[in-house]
Amino acid sequence: MSEAYVRETTLVTDDSDYFERVLDGTVGLSLVSFVVGIAALADVIALGATGSELGRPLLTLAVAAVGGVGVVAICDRLGLVSITSQRATNAATGVVVSLLALTALAFAAEMTLARLFGITLLVQAVAVVSAGAASRFDVADTTPDPSAGLLAGLAFGAIGLIFGAAIGGSLVGFDSTLLAGVPTWVVVTLASGVGMTVVTVLPREDIGSTLPAALIVGALGVTVTTAAVGVGWQWNPETIDGGFTGGVVVPLFVLFGSMVAGWAASKARAGFGARGRQLGAFYVVNVNAALIVTVMITIVVFVAVKGIGYAFHGFAIGALSGLVVLAPLFVLALQWARGPAGTARWNSTVRQLVRVTPLAAVGALAAVLLGVLATGRTLDYPFTYTVQVNREPVVLDTSLAITPALEIGNLLLIISGGFLAVYFLRKYGTLRNVGNKSDRLVTVRRLVPRAIGGLLLAGVIIAILGRSPAGIPLSETVGSGLVLAGALAAVAFTVSPLAAVGFGDGTRRERAEQAARVVSVSLFSALGLLTTAVLLESLSGANPSLGPVNIVPVLALVATAAAGCFALICALTLRKTDDANLRRILRNEGTLGLAAASGFVALFGLHIALTQAAYIAGPVRIGLTGSLSWPMALEAYKPLGPQPGGIWPAVVGTIWLVTGASAFAVPLGVGAAIFLTEYAEQGRATALVEIATNALWSTPSVVFGLFGAAFILPRLGGDESLLAGMLVLGFMLLPLVLITSREAIKSVPDEYRDASAALGVSRWETIRSVVLPAAMPGVVTGVILGVGRIAGETAPLILVLGSTLNSTRAIDVIGGFRFLNQPPFIINDALTQASAALPTQVWAVISAGVSGSPSMGWASAFLLLTVVLGFYAVGIVTRTYFRRKLNYE
Amino acid sequence: MSNAVDTERDTDTELTEAPSGKRTTGESDETVEEAWTDYRFDGDAKLDVENLDVWYGDEHALKDVSMEIPEESVTALIGPSGCGKSTYLRCLNRMNDRIKSARVEGSVKLDDTEIYDPNANLVELRKRVGMVFQSPNPFPKSIRENVSYGPRKHGDIEKGLLARLFGRDDTEEEYDLVEQSLKQAALWEEVSDRLEDNALGLSGGQQQRLCIARCLAVGPEVILMDEPASALDPIATSKIEDLVEDLAEDYTVVIVTHNMQQAARISDQTAVFLTGGELVEYDDTDKIFENPESQRVEDYITGKFG
Ligand SMILES: Nc1ncnc2c1ncn2[C@@H]1O[C@H](COP(=O)(O)OP(=O)(O)OP(=O)(O)O)[C@@H](O)[C@H]1O
Ligand SMILES: [Mg+2]
Repeated sequence: MSEAYVRETTLVTDDSDYFERVLDGTVGLSLVSFVVGIAALADVIALGATGSELGRPLLTLAVAAVGGVGVVAICDRLGLVSITSQRATNAATGVVVSLLALTALAFAAEMTLARLFGITLLVQAVAVVSAGAASRFDVADTTPDPSAGLLAGLAFGAIGLIFGAAIGGSLVGFDSTLLAGVPTWVVVTLASGVGMTVVTVLPREDIGSTLPAALIVGALGVTVTTAAVGVGWQWNPETIDGGFTGGVVVPLFVLFGSMVAGWAASKARAGFGARGRQLGAFYVVNVNAALIVTVMITIVVFVAVKGIGYAFHGFAIGALSGLVVLAPLFVLALQWARGPAGTARWNSTVRQLVRVTPLAAVGALAAVLLGVLATGRTLDYPFTYTVQVNREPVVLDTSLAITPALEIGNLLLIISGGFLAVYFLRKYGTLRNVGNKSDRLVTVRRLVPRAIGGLLLAGVIIAILGRSPAGIPLSETVGSGLVLAGALAAVAFTVSPLAAVGFGDGTRRERAEQAARVVSVSLFSALGLLTTAVLLESLSGANPSLGPVNIVPVLALVATAAAGCFALICALTLRKTDDANLRRILRNEGTLGLAAASGFVALFGLHIALTQAAYIAGPVRIGLTGSLSWPMALEAYKPLGPQPGGIWPAVVGTIWLVTGASAFAVPLGVGAAIFLTEYAEQGRATALVEIATNALWSTPSVVFGLFGAAFILPRLGGDESLLAGMLVLGFMLLPLVLITSREAIKSVPDEYRDASAALGVSRWETIRSVVLPAAMPGVVTGVILGVGRIAGETAPLILVLGSTLNSTRAIDVIGGFRFLNQPPFIINDALTQASAALPTQVWAVISAGVSGSPSMGWASAFLLLTVVLGFYAVGIVTRTYFRRKLNYE
Repeated sequence: MSNAVDTERDTDTELTEAPSGKRTTGESDETVEEAWTDYRFDGDAKLDVENLDVWYGDEHALKDVSMEIPEESVTALIGPSGCGKSTYLRCLNRMNDRIKSARVEGSVKLDDTEIYDPNANLVELRKRVGMVFQSPNPFPKSIRENVSYGPRKHGDIEKGLLARLFGRDDTEEEYDLVEQSLKQAALWEEVSDRLEDNALGLSGGQQQRLCIARCLAVGPEVILMDEPASALDPIATSKIEDLVEDLAEDYTVVIVTHNMQQAARISDQTAVFLTGGELVEYDDTDKIFENPESQRVEDYITGKFG
């Protein structure tokens, strides 16, 4: 038994003593050398740098550290956050002090980064071994075990073997022999390995885990300081190709050494024993995790730095369009900001800050956009980028700009309006039962769907008969009349709750209830009728106009205004109401009003898309094209001219590939998952399918590509084709969808199935209405992650789709459909053509060599990476959303 | 009777090890015969079970059980753990069909119709014989959707766009049904203003009553309950008990319980199963608890074994 059981340890230590501070500082130092080591490995700081060349980057780091730690410290003083961990405080101090010291050393003494590293390692070694000694001689208050343990012994032994071989080999040479033909270096190696194990295992834990660590770190430190392995060092063993250079080995030594030192220091800091092991492991695990994150961030940042300039050349957006885009973001930020903060003080302050930040950001952006609109001045950020023109690098000037253009594209309206409408509709939903008893409402409810159906039918009939069969202007008379009737009815419906809540009689409460009775029926009917009117208009080719103005968008705007007013009135009334139930009613009505208003805006956009018309109201122009200009993503390559254009065809190609692949792989995969989980007997057959799925999942993508090229292509006419690409990507997506869906379906509790069966509901109905909804989070996440994967898949696409450099034409799948009066009745030429895609675009640039434009390649890679990471982000958000929704709402 | 009932008696494995488990089949058959044939009730039998045997693989879980269950009454099933009460209950609406290893022999008649007939319509059967499970299992849907789930799936309630286009919209019927079922299950007061909230947000007792409402909404004649209150606190339990007593006015309730006071309080007749899957005694509840014919039943009820 060690003295640990005799000695009393206090439960709460008030202040850390000298021993602990030094060790925390050592941890800080090891973190610093780890970070700088990574920087050296990535060539951010040269190993041979001296003087101010070395001092400046270190100073930057130091300033950043001082700033970061300083802000936190100030916040701590102000009571905004509360830092309770002494360890964190001490380590942060250690980081700052070490960085400042290193910077001072770099400026003061003319030494290379490599030597600086060596000194750092030596300092760490000394600190660690002193800690061990202090503990052993009871200067410090620790609770060590009798031994550091066999595992640590073996680990250090293995390291000792390697060190022995390296040092022994280089000092005495690999060819000198000792007695009886045994090479000397073997003896040295074995001795070092065994020695290390002995030193680790035999002494008490405090010595056993610090001494060997210090030996290793010290040895590394000496090697690096003496420049035995230095900047110009090289080792090219004859037995292997290639070799090692100091530029790589020294940073690796530093990373390894500081990790070992940090581990030992953490262990000592916690006083050895069980707590020490825990803290040591904690340190190593965290540093490793940080390393992984670093690798990912490095890749992303690297690609972004290389590609972002070209990717955003000539990017400009009109301020008004910007505001339309901001609207949904504003609503989301608002919701985020309204979320509950934690109860603890630390939590509540910081969380509130975090929650309010997006809202503030959106507000700031909106202010900037409004400013641009108000002053009428373009706001731009000029920058330069390089492209290859005729094999010569040419520097071009461009800018990011926010223009005061008052143009809105219809697509923006549809997307923003549609998103908001769906969002608000989801929020609404607890009052659908109010007012079911009124006869008039029941009649309306019965009539409106029929009216909608009838209108659509009329549209189809006119579309079939032609616009003016036998000279009768059918579309102009009947068509226009019907469209007008539908749109007018929609407006009437929209206005009715407004009238009820605004101008009805009785108390506020009575009016609100009155409105609640009609609001859902009215607004839903209005949305339905206006949608029908817009569709009918395009189907029948009618143009119901008053003079030169088409009446439908005008009515849509009126409806938007009415619904908006209604929502506003609800909000105003809400502020003056205390009655909880009334508040609920009002809040719901207001939400529905907002949903309807945004829905009408989206319908306005749809109307423009379908009629191809543009509307000008004063200075504002709403039309088919908006004021968003993004050459890289939204334009095709331009072979001539100063601006090279972009990769729009590749963007379109990737969109179609992903759509096509999901269209057949998702239903198939989910269907198979349902069959395997719910219907098939668990046995040989399902096991076989499982094996096949997993095998399919691990099949290399290039094999899929070969299969596509050799099997699918000849059957689709022989040429590279979009359809083949869709199929191959679909095959790759299939196993992932199958596996994730199966897991999701399996995890739906059997109780649901039992409950449903006990109600006499058939198995398929149960699956459809209970099992699948409950499995949805898993299925959707699986699909999104899978789509993210295939979106970036390159090898199979090169084989079946080809890799077109500088594609000038985007593939037109929708326009490619043609109808025939003989089998197969419908064909699509676009599907059997080659197309560009984002990954193959990147590959095309690489393989084109000098004729390709590197900046185009990097920009494509950047866009591709953004798309794929975007899929992952969406996947994660969806999963969270569904989980929350399923568990409680 | 009260002193004979040991309330918190935890029916444990002791009985499984008791010598009674080792009796020969012949003997136990005799006991069964003797116990239940004496029981005659007024009125009609809703369910008539004859010579029912259930095997799980090779395990003979229910042995030659015969009993008639009277209409519009509460029948309690009691007995030690593992004696086959749940198995028996599941036979009454053929939920055992869902267990692959289960094999059922014998006959169960619902209003003189054989439910184990190969041509029996399972949907209809389970509509008429509803079931409430031991742990509340509402769907992760809104309260309203939970209650109207059965009728919607059976096409008794049509709603949605397509239904509206065809001029049939049962939204009001749905709400009436939901209200009525929730009222019957004594839950309406608590949830009437949050019908669209997710049912998983309810408390355990509320969830269980919701499950009862969901079962009632289908319009069953018989309701099978497998320890419906075992996961609930005393207040929720007493609510369920009151509910069961009310339900007995219109429905035939068969309820499994481990709580003998509960059985004594709410049931009209009680069947006692003992280890090995035999029905040992079936009689008026008062008779069972005050003066059981079989010594083993008396031992079980008083908590004495052997
Ligand atoms: N699905 C099954 N597969 C195999 N054996 C089963 C299955 N269900 C039950 N059994 C067996 O049948 C016997 C009776 O089980 P049952 O669930 O009917 O008991 P119970 O009386 O309801 O017990 P409890 O009071 O603990 O719920 C037990 O021995 C059990 O092991
Ligand atoms: Mg049971």
